[in-house]
Amino acid sequence: MDAIALIAPRAGRGLHRFANPGRFLRLAGAVQPWLTGSAIIVTAIGLYWALFISPADWQQGDAVRIMYVHVPAAWLASMGYAGLALCSLASIIWRHPLADLAAAEIGPVGAGFTALCLATGSLWGKPMWGAWWVWDARLTSVLVLFFLYLGHIALVRAFDEPQRGYRAGSILALVGVVNLPIIKFSVDWWNTLHQPATITLMGAPTMALTMLWPLLVCAIGFTLVFAALVVARTRAAVMERRIRALLMARSEASA
Amino acid sequence: MTRKGRRWAIVLVCGVGLGSATALSLLAFSSDMVFFVAPSDLAANGQPGRSLRLGGLVEAGSVHRVSEGGEPVAHFRVTDGKASVDVSYTGILPDLFREGQGVVTLGTLRPDGTFRASEVLAKHDETYMPKDVADALKKAGMWDPTKGPPPPAATWNAMATRTAG
Amino acid sequence: MTHLGFIALSYALALIVPLGFGLGAARRLSLARRRLAAIDPRAAQ
Repeated sequence: MDAIALIAPRAGRGLHRFANPGRFLRLAGAVQPWLTGSAIIVTAIGLYWALFISPADWQQGDAVRIMYVHVPAAWLASMGYAGLALCSLASIIWRHPLADLAAAEIGPVGAGFTALCLATGSLWGKPMWGAWWVWDARLTSVLVLFFLYLGHIALVRAFDEPQRGYRAGSILALVGVVNLPIIKFSVDWWNTLHQPATITLMGAPTMALTMLWPLLVCAIGFTLVFAALVVARTRAAVMERRIRALLMARSEASA
Repeated sequence: MTRKGRRWAIVLVCGVGLGSATALSLLAFSSDMVFFVAPSDLAANGQPGRSLRLGGLVEAGSVHRVSEGGEPVAHFRVTDGKASVDVSYTGILPDLFREGQGVVTLGTLRPDGTFRASEVLAKHDETYMPKDVADALKKAGMWDPTKGPPPPAATWNAMATRTAG
Repeated sequence: MTHLGFIALSYALALIVPLGFGLGAARRLSLARRRLAAIDPRAAQ
């Protein structure tokens, strides 16, 4: 508790430098072209490498190429949710005004990447496993993640007063964090049809390097795409909030 | 205590409570979270007639494909190293089905101790290997895919291969 | 290429999903910028 009390206010002050919407817009506006450009370039290289250069798997044949889309999408689905939870924490503890907007904008993008993960998983499962879908612990917990995203999207937009929606949404997001370790460890804790992790912190990846490199490039590319989308949406949200505030001030002044 | 400190305390207490509640319920329902049972579980407490999923590796040398009444029937043994069960399945097997491969079969245990499967799913493992590397390992006698998992990844994952055209 | 249909559909989805989000974000941004400029030229970046 003491350590947190010591660190927390400082971290809070650091974050509040970005609370000024004008400063955020200037900074994000300057970063956006670089972010978007690198996202497009890295993803294009990664997908081309994955589709045309990387070798086919000895068992799965070319179907293994679905992995280069499915795995980064799955990582981003979880990482995006972690980002959503961090924004929610900043909103609850520090009442950070930008965190609320960012959380509301991460939700749909995260849901999109989770849907991409589920769809490509299905397209991979049918030819390899022989089933579009099974109710094992990994697939079910990722489906729960998708519903958490959908719940958050609906909740933050459900109230007439935005502040109440943000509060409810951040509580839902923080409660849903328990699902992240369940997703990660489901393949180790219970037997599942889904295979366990190939890339682990300890031990060599059980994947040929000729396949690992394009996978990492795709993962970096997808991460940049996710970041570029969230930054763009948050910029739009900040401007929209300013428009609402200006219109409200004007209508009050004329009344 | 400041208001921020109080909010931290509330978030942490709720987090610990929620986390432990989730952990306890997962622990309590752990046996229901598994997608399939292993042959040794089935040998220990399998009741005939109940529909269940049986998972394990297809035992090397156990696959026999016959034709009964014009329909393809596969007989094979599913093993987890400790016990094995005879499985019969009528229908087309998935592409990845082979000896040494992980499979999950849905079906019922019959009174004679064999398993009648109505569905067979292939469970591929976490190994990704180009064909050349697999061929080189097999040729060098380092790996027989029908007998078990490949050798440690560090021995082959940097192996140079031709790339797909 | 084996399983071409499954692969093509997966990659198509991988392009369509970010592209859809990207176009939506670009449209929102340009609309917000125009409206902001119309209301308060000083506030628009």
